[in-house]
Amino acid sequence: MGAVVAGLLHGCSLTPLRRQSAPPARIGAESLQQPSLSGDGRLLATLVERAGRTTVQLQERRSGKVLPLQHLRRGQPHSSPSLSWNGRYLAVLIQQGARRQIVIEDRATGRLQPLFLPARQEPQQLSLSADGQRLAVEVIRGGSQRIAMFNLSGLLEPDRAPGLLERGAGAMP
Amino acid sequence: MKRAAIALAALTLLLSGCQGGVRPLNGLNQQLNKLGNGASPALAGDWLALITTRPGGRVQVQLIDVQRGLPVPVIGLNRVDSLPISVAVDQQGERLALVRQRGDRSELLMYRRSMQASQPISIEPAGVPRRVSLSANGRVLAVEVSRGGLWQVDLLELP
Repeated sequence: MGAVVAGLLHGCSLTPLRRQSAPPARIGAESLQQPSLSGDGRLLATLVERAGRTTVQLQERRSGKVLPLQHLRRGQPHSSPSLSWNGRYLAVLIQQGARRQIVIEDRATGRLQPLFLPARQEPQQLSLSADGQRLAVEVIRGGSQRIAMFNLSGLLEPDRAPGLLERGAGAMP
Repeated sequence: MKRAAIALAALTLLLSGCQGGVRPLNGLNQQLNKLGNGASPALAGDWLALITTRPGGRVQVQLIDVQRGLPVPVIGLNRVDSLPISVAVDQQGERLALVRQRGDRSELLMYRRSMQASQPISIEPAGVPRRVSLSANGRVLAVEVSRGGLWQVDLLELP
């Protein structure tokens, strides 16, 4: 792919780093924030400014092609996107009135799943496990910043690497 | 009265249905609470990387074995002269990508746990890194970079 070998800068290993040279090595001329890669590295979710509203965007990493999201055109500002292994699930924080709400768009079924935290926990940042079975949430609780872990196995089918995959989310609409 | 009770029970069931499947991992959460304040969570496989702040004020990167609910050593990753800003981990718990502040500079580095060593990664063209994301397979790194007044995303492939 014509990647440039940037070279090793410090000798702890002989691991070269390759910068993605073909567009979009640096994706887009617009402001992009809070990148999140799918587990397989094929997809990239970021936040973009659209008409002054911070909105989550999903792209194929190599081509830069923007992929449609069915439910995430509202509820701005969005923040903290997080993808599962094949990108079947995209977890993100949306704004609902004065509160932030965790939602997960399932790109295989087209469903949007809201997640409700226990009372008095305000979500700030998310990380979805690659298989979609766990969620780590940075929350504000009683004035303290904490990490709370949740089990989603009763809610989401696993999104695993090919070979382990029961139901894929590869090239979905 | 009976109808009201039935309606209330139905509502409770409905609400618990909305909560369905979202179960706090209480044992693990208690362990995480013991680490102090936590921020910047990054999950991959059975690993959780995060930045904790102890009551004494020490800020450091921690790597948690989620199955055991315990931190594992990340020897050489935390330095007293630097402040971690963002961290990510691969699903093997082997590679950790980190943005940290040292003096007036933000730097990006890749840590290999088996080698207990870090490799700085240059930002080209020059820019200020802030957040990192590492694909769970450990092959791709995405970095949020402030460059010329614009936030951009740099992508690097790792062998």
